[in-house]
Amino acid sequence: MKKTAFHFLRVGLAITFLWIGILILKQPEIWSGYLQPWAAGLLPIPITQAMLGTAILDIIIGAFLLVDFLPWLAASAGAVHLVIVLTVSGITDITARDIGLLAAMLALMIDSLPPRILNKIKN
Amino acid sequence: MTALALLFTLSAVGISETVYLIRKRIASEKPICPIGENCALVLTSRWSKIFIIPNDILGLLFYVTASFIAGFLVVGVEPVAFWNFIFKLAVALGALLSLFFTYLQWQIIRAWCFWCLMSAFTIWLMGIILLASNF
Repeated sequence: MKKTAFHFLRVGLAITFLWIGILILKQPEIWSGYLQPWAAGLLPIPITQAMLGTAILDIIIGAFLLVDFLPWLAASAGAVHLVIVLTVSGITDITARDIGLLAAMLALMIDSLPPRILNKIKN
Repeated sequence: MTALALLFTLSAVGISETVYLIRKRIASEKPICPIGENCALVLTSRWSKIFIIPNDILGLLFYVTASFIAGFLVVGVEPVAFWNFIFKLAVALGALLSLFFTYLQWQIIRAWCFWCLMSAFTIWLMGIILLASNF
């Protein structure tokens, strides 16, 4: 990926994750409504606490991406997180947007993987 | 809420920009200069520090503070009125300082730095949003 395009993608996704994290912190109980009942039943902790944990994870991923600190790790965590979100929230009006975010996060992850990890995957 | 989203976005852009400049300075590398060729001239001038603190560090502190306060205001962390006042004061001071730095580039250093101008426009835009939203 061209260097400039990488940074646009990195900062854009960072802002998205940071902002979503803040919004979840504001009203965790409302955001828990996105969780399918079967997924909520699997949680070992109260759903509000789980949403607060999600918010903190989103903010950490966003902060790492924003300052370009271990972007491959942040992008990997972000991609896994988005796969989980897609799985536990079911098909809704915003599913298409999450698929776009996941694709963008995967692009960022692939482009920022350190050579030693790339070599391990290849060999 | 819309104003805070915009203010937070601008603060985040400022953080990424200042972190980039700090990294380049520490590594003693020239930053990319997308427009013009005088970024390094401005960034290494005697005006690149206030007392002993580099301007990029001051900028980072400003943007980090602004993003935290925007977050506090969204979540509703008390005392909201205090955060509101500090936010407006910080942006007003930042806008004035940016005006001064832009004058320095124009009349004293006689060179333009893309990153410095971008930061100045970011802070001025924050000021315009604050004035327009009147929150």
